[in-house]
Amino acid sequence: MNGIVCIKQVPETGDIRWNPETGALIREGASGVLNRNDKHAIEAALQLREMHGGSITAISMGPPQADESLREALGMGVDGAVLLSDPCFAGADTLATSYALSAAIQRIARFDLILCGKETSDGMTAQVGPQLAELLNLPQLTYATGISVHGHSVRITQKLDGGLRVVETSMPALITVEPHSNQPRIPAMDSIMEAYRDKEVQAWSLEDLGQGGEHFGLKGSPTTTRRVYRKEVTRGTVTLLKGEPDEMARALIATLKGKGLL
Amino acid sequence: MDFTLPGESKMMVKAAREFTEREIDPIIPTIEKDDELPDDLLGKFAKAKMLGMMIPKEYGGIGSSALNIILIAEELAKSGSAAPFIMAMNNSVAETIYYWGSEEVRKRFIPLLCDGSYYATMAFTEPGTGSDPTAVTTTAAPDGDSYILNGAKRFITMGHKKGYGIFYAKDETGRITAFIVDKGSEGYTWSKPWALMGLAGQGLVDVFLKDVRVPVRNILGEKSKGFHILLRWIAGERIQQMAFMVGMGQACLDESLKFANERMVRARPMTAMQGFQWMLAEMHASIEACRWWTYRVACKQDEGGDFQVDSAALKLFVVPTIQEVARKALQIHGSYGYCKDYKIERLYRTIAHAGITASSTEIQKTLVGSALSRSKEG
Repeated sequence: MNGIVCIKQVPETGDIRWNPETGALIREGASGVLNRNDKHAIEAALQLREMHGGSITAISMGPPQADESLREALGMGVDGAVLLSDPCFAGADTLATSYALSAAIQRIARFDLILCGKETSDGMTAQVGPQLAELLNLPQLTYATGISVHGHSVRITQKLDGGLRVVETSMPALITVEPHSNQPRIPAMDSIMEAYRDKEVQAWSLEDLGQGGEHFGLKGSPTTTRRVYRKEVTRGTVTLLKGEPDEMARALIATLKGKGLL
Repeated sequence: MDFTLPGESKMMVKAAREFTEREIDPIIPTIEKDDELPDDLLGKFAKAKMLGMMIPKEYGGIGSSALNIILIAEELAKSGSAAPFIMAMNNSVAETIYYWGSEEVRKRFIPLLCDGSYYATMAFTEPGTGSDPTAVTTTAAPDGDSYILNGAKRFITMGHKKGYGIFYAKDETGRITAFIVDKGSEGYTWSKPWALMGLAGQGLVDVFLKDVRVPVRNILGEKSKGFHILLRWIAGERIQQMAFMVGMGQACLDESLKFANERMVRARPMTAMQGFQWMLAEMHASIEACRWWTYRVACKQDEGGDFQVDSAALKLFVVPTIQEVARKALQIHGSYGYCKDYKIERLYRTIAHAGITASSTEIQKTLVGSALSRSKEG
């Protein structure tokens, strides 16, 4: 079972800046961390490899400093890592990001599964996984809380609003992994040393993908940000309900209905 | 001179932080209540490959560095608990056996300390002596291919847990020899753990040796040269201990900042007041000075030179400095800091240990002072 995990380095909370003209996040120089949801995708991939063998490659698009997040993935135990880094990739929306990832994955060629985290903590669109599946013409299984491989098929337990359902498809396929579906392993100290001393992060530029630049970065992004602003947080007033529990419960329900929250 | 930590070290710190949050912080209330570390904790350190950090792979270690150990130690210590001390003990004893031991001794003892099967112990202190080798009363009498050990050792970390300990005893020449003793040997018994002011669960016991037979091949290093082994071990242990102090000092500052930002006085947070700002600034500057000197001495250990005087001077500076940081943290917290519900109460008690254990602050003055005097004479 050969797998590819798409990961992203996201800004650390509290260190977020953006370009006032384009609205794009400024990633250069910002301290970054591996997107938390992506750790669940890595963990799921590693567990599948432990059961079925094969190898796992982590892939990310970002500035050179995204190397750190790929090293972290290597420290967790993935076998190989690819960093797509080129000034032409900058300013990509989810479509251009998916396009770049799909071009790189086509270059890797041999895989059974692609795993993505549910969404990133900076964009929170949850679009890249499904878009990537469409671009690669792969079946997509989203919101997976459990994954099992049976021969040439993969089965997931899918989390829905009203419950769970089991979905199965043939491989290759793309899966987006729900947070809380597993507990990502903490890299062991020897694995961290291997990640930095023995393993390699391959850096691929636009030229390595063998394509023109029209589908990448800002050029390939139909989405434009109209405005970026800090949300003002206003302090509300606290109302203390008094009386017997059932009276307070009724008063609470009435208050919530009055505010249109129920 | 490059003060930038390599990416590998930064990721180790991050992993140690996650380990602390996942494996140590949640069990602290139980450790405080039971005064005992859970049995599976050492295995978790082993799985994270935090034991045998400086030991080459062929003996079960990972071949890292003293600097990386103390970076991890600093992070683990932010929990303010005794949990990291067992990590430090297995590391320092394994390193001591590696440094002084023959190939046969290394292969026999080190892997079991690295994989977490055995708890390491270092036993020098006795009821009648803490630092004076001439006052040691534990004896080792030759008997064929063995020595027979008799005596008592005091305040021995994990002396009651399965594993090996390096025990110091007077041999037939009257000098100190270091023996690797199996804690499961016949005649090896122990007291209940001492109840300590802080460091719940550290497991300090008195150990009693009654006709304990130790094979000659378990002598560590040269016979009658055990005191050198002890001094070098203490020097390394001191660096780890000071890394713990730096981590706990940082935790004091973090807790103080959190508290002072939330605590309103006359409609303003405490942090808006100059008096508290000055205290926080002094705490920060003190911790930074301690941190970078600790890193420097760890690098000196990695360079392979003599670091005993450096680590003594380090302790001489770090202990009172971080204890003052803890005092300020307590003051900032006011009455809340004296309550067990607040982390600062535990940190304050834990930090109090450092001027006493692994040789006192006063002994460091003697070590550094006499070294300076000798260098002036030279």
